[in-house]
Amino acid sequence: MSVEEKKEEWVIESKSSYFNLDLKELAYYRHLLFRLVRKEFLVNYQQTLLGPLWILFQPLLTMITYVFVFNKIIGVPNGKLPPALFYFCGIVVWNFFNESFTSTSRTFRDNIHIFSKVYFPRLIVPLSVIITQFFRFLIQLGLLILILLYFILFKGFTVKFNALLLAIPLVMLTIGMISLSLGLIFSVITAKYRDLGNFVDIFTRVLLFITPVIYPLGSVKESIRWIVQLNPLSSLFELFRLCLLGEGTVSVPQLLYSVIFMIVSLLLAILLFNKQGSKLIDVI
Amino acid sequence: MSDTILEVDNISKLYKLGKIDSGSLKKDLDSWWKRVVLKRPDPVYEEEENNLPTSQYLWALKNISFKLNEGEALGIIGSNGSGKSTLLKVISRIVQPTKGTIRGRGKISSILEVGTGFHNELSGRENIYISGYTLGMNKAEIQRKFDEIVAFSGIEKFIDTPIKRYSSGMYVRLAFAVAAHLEPDILIVDEVLAVGDADFQKKCMGKMKDISDKNGRTILFVSHNMQAVTNLCNNAIWLQQGEIKGTGLAGEVVESYISSLKQEKIESVWEAEYDAPGNNQVRMKSYQVRAQSDKSDSYITVRTPVQMDFEFYCYIDDCNINVNVKLYAVTGECIFNLGCKTIKAQKAVLALQSVIPANLLNNNTYYVSLTVVKNNSYPIFDFDHCVSFDVEDERKNMSYFGTWPGLIRPSVDGDFYVKNLLES
Repeated sequence: MSVEEKKEEWVIESKSSYFNLDLKELAYYRHLLFRLVRKEFLVNYQQTLLGPLWILFQPLLTMITYVFVFNKIIGVPNGKLPPALFYFCGIVVWNFFNESFTSTSRTFRDNIHIFSKVYFPRLIVPLSVIITQFFRFLIQLGLLILILLYFILFKGFTVKFNALLLAIPLVMLTIGMISLSLGLIFSVITAKYRDLGNFVDIFTRVLLFITPVIYPLGSVKESIRWIVQLNPLSSLFELFRLCLLGEGTVSVPQLLYSVIFMIVSLLLAILLFNKQGSKLIDVI
Repeated sequence: MSDTILEVDNISKLYKLGKIDSGSLKKDLDSWWKRVVLKRPDPVYEEEENNLPTSQYLWALKNISFKLNEGEALGIIGSNGSGKSTLLKVISRIVQPTKGTIRGRGKISSILEVGTGFHNELSGRENIYISGYTLGMNKAEIQRKFDEIVAFSGIEKFIDTPIKRYSSGMYVRLAFAVAAHLEPDILIVDEVLAVGDADFQKKCMGKMKDISDKNGRTILFVSHNMQAVTNLCNNAIWLQQGEIKGTGLAGEVVESYISSLKQEKIESVWEAEYDAPGNNQVRMKSYQVRAQSDKSDSYITVRTPVQMDFEFYCYIDDCNINVNVKLYAVTGECIFNLGCKTIKAQKAVLALQSVIPANLLNNNTYYVSLTVVKNNSYPIFDFDHCVSFDVEDERKNMSYFGTWPGLIRPSVDGDFYVKNLLES
């Protein structure tokens, strides 16, 4: 960098506005973003025997438990789909949402030692979490596709793939953005009032049961279906299953509701995060 | 070169004290309601800010203003809790000021700790990248400087080993190496020199001086090492309890700061005779230790003579009496024993004055013990640790910052010269 280069002027003021999302600054720190993603993978699998294989074991074991408990013992109906495929599909998508949300909600708590020593756009950290989780999701999706192929080749399972497959990236983007915005909002709240971190746990646990992960939306009684439909994630999970496995209950108004929820919450979250981000260091 | 690159305008920072609990949520909601919904001014921004209860609020910085020109190195000094670090954090955008504005130009990087962003599980190589990006370097910069950073830290062999296996020295060297290769327009450094051994500190100071002198970068430097501040910085600001107490040329500000810390003299006078240490033969009256100088605000340095005055009551009169003054280093070694001439004891106040010459004591803490001796052989009163005093360092035209070794630092003549050339 030469000294003659034009130096950008900047101002620090005592009040931060809601609308100071500096995209140019975010872009400048993109390399940090990718390094943080890389770091997350490197750190998690240092000194381990199986390394990244753990990404696959966790959903596999959960799937086996779910098949045993919900299918064999309780007998939750899951349509015409093979139980293993049905549950694994739900688990993979749920994991992506759940991990993204809980990790981003700890942004301030987990990074205070860095945040209190150096400035960079704080949004980089939650973004790196979402990207990391997205890569993990891709790996798990690979396994899901292998399982799907197994059922098609050896178990005579049939599914018609069509243009709907193209909707999958959009579904994941919407789920990712919802988890990011909820995570950001909770990260601000829990930074100041730490006990609300416990609420995150309870919240995700309850949310799991009103999201069609262990049951299809179609199997819910009409009279109480609205409860599940209030959850903006429901239609997205159903759409994902419809796209990949060919079975799901989806309606356009439901999807619109999810997308609008995503946009509104994302706006709210970024505004809140920007406004509070620089003040929170004082109270963590 | 003399363009203003950073302008700090009337910065104040208020901290709320006390716990955050269910009570504070109520207060938060209450204050939010009043500010946002009822549109009342925030009490914090009102003029009568000095009326804020001091039990709940603390002004860490109060109306700080200064300007920094391009290429200037500014030192910030002050005792612990004077607001130095808060000021750096506000300028680095880590915390937000309560009032005031800061305007600046160009890229700003701050090194407030050694090893920001380091992760123990990762290799040195990974950490150079992570830390570099965290501190605001871009990709090209790191790639260009990577080899230089590794060479400066001297850990080539361990670059692919997780840094948790590094010795603490290696860790610090690597961390500083990354920080030292930042190329911002304004560099903010807080107490980085407090770590590492003397050699490494020297290397760091050299690097900092390079950054400031050769590359013409603007530096904002906080340190407790006054020698380093005087040497590196052109100007300095002295903070005390969040306010600017002095500003000007680094050497002058440092001097007035040190002299404010030092009592001009160390003295003790016992008002009541029976309170004073002693016995029925002799008893202390007073003592005083001070720098012997014409200036009123002088303090004891390695270059000032030290004057010691002792007064005591003598209650006996049928013998000879004298006093031994022993000077010890704080670590307990006796530096010397000062004898004095024997006089005939009388019922009177006896006084002893002695002067330790300049250029004898080192930058150290010393203490004095007294022994009163009767007839040159019987000690009748021992006053151990009678008084202790510090000798401040004073170096001119010297670029060595480390501790000067030795219990004493006498000025000894020496000649260093070229005797004769080698025949080649």
